[in-house]
Amino acid sequence: MLGVVVIASVVMMSADAGGSYMAPMRSALATVGYPFQIAASLPAQTVNYLERYFDRSELIAKNNRLKQKNLQLKGRLQQLASLESRNERLRSLLGSAASIDRHVQIAQILSSNPDPYRHRVKLNKGREDGVFVGQALIDAHGIVGQVVSVAPATSHAVLLTDPNHGIPVEINRTGQETIAKGTGRADTLKLPFLPSNADVKKGDLLVTSGLAGRYPAGYPVAHVTKVKHTPGREFLQVTAQPTASLGRGRAVLLVWNRNTSPSHAANSSPSQAAKSKADSSP
Amino acid sequence: MIQNDRVGIFWIAFSISLSLVITLMPLPTSIAAGRPLMYPATLLFWIMMQPTRFGVGVAWLGGLLLDVLFGTPLGEHGLALALAAYAVVRLRRILWTLAPLQQLALLLPIFAGYEFMLFWIDGVMGQSSAMWWRWVPVLTTAVIWPVWSALLERVALMEVR
Repeated sequence: MLGVVVIASVVMMSADAGGSYMAPMRSALATVGYPFQIAASLPAQTVNYLERYFDRSELIAKNNRLKQKNLQLKGRLQQLASLESRNERLRSLLGSAASIDRHVQIAQILSSNPDPYRHRVKLNKGREDGVFVGQALIDAHGIVGQVVSVAPATSHAVLLTDPNHGIPVEINRTGQETIAKGTGRADTLKLPFLPSNADVKKGDLLVTSGLAGRYPAGYPVAHVTKVKHTPGREFLQVTAQPTASLGRGRAVLLVWNRNTSPSHAANSSPSQAAKSKADSSP
Repeated sequence: MIQNDRVGIFWIAFSISLSLVITLMPLPTSIAAGRPLMYPATLLFWIMMQPTRFGVGVAWLGGLLLDVLFGTPLGEHGLALALAAYAVVRLRRILWTLAPLQQLALLLPIFAGYEFMLFWIDGVMGQSSAMWWRWVPVLTTAVIWPVWSALLERVALMEVR
């Protein structure tokens, strides 16, 4: 029995990693598991419901509308800090500042992965909304993560703090480029590649450098919380705290920008992207 | 001795469902990392106490369910749980003779082995997760095991009499 089970597990894991061969079995088991997921989310939902019950529905609707509007505005504003200092550095070279008027869309977080070693979330926007793999997610305070897989109506995103995630950043004060990696803790990033003589201080703001082409440049990522140099080591041990409220908010913004869009259609507008997709499909 | 009696399937299903719900319940990340392995512990308890009904196969299927709910590669938790169940099956006769705290001495390495299998498969699959707090659930499981197993046994005894 054990032998059979071990071999079956290994075969299934390789099949699962290689593609979608196990999808029928997955969906069958997911049906079994669905009631448990519902039951597990009941306590939190009940609290939410009770909170809302005592409010007036009109107030709620208005509040929600204002919150979304506020989030959108903050999303556009947050680049200013970085643009300001960049302007100072580059004014002589750069004739005009880059436009920060990027297209954004609000997405709700449907669920987050219960496995504490995978920082993933599921969003309620998908291919039909023009979402694409590699698209950046932000919230009111900074970068949240990026989209890793897209289904027709939903998508999955990986958060900055996932241990397998790295993001190219620059230190806003000096312009030093480096990479911030996730640690698996919700409030910590590490910067493992800063040489021991790098100019970095506690409190420094890290912003996206936009170098890898995935994230739009100039969005805040994290604040440096600790800088430690062990004599004899080539690199500093630097940790930083993400500025975005990871794992707390329910809404995030999807950003369409010129650097990251795979097709020209996608960066003009999501609805156009969806339309052109529909046109091209038979 | 509940291992000689057939405990009603309702209680078994209910306790396993309850442990699964506790496993899936959303918690703040800092607490979630130390969440005890309720679901494996409950499955292993019934595998230990109902030898004529449950074995490695049930543990494997239970693990597959966890894989789907967690979005891990299909078979990861299945394999880890099946191996843990195999160890419990082999040690079953010894475990029956021991007091709950003594049982823990044998079960703690099994829980640690379960967690190690997950860690190892994650590593092979390229999902790095070498973090010390990965082992915290083993300790919290050890803390709740005496209470939880005593409770399950009490309920089961009430029913078979």
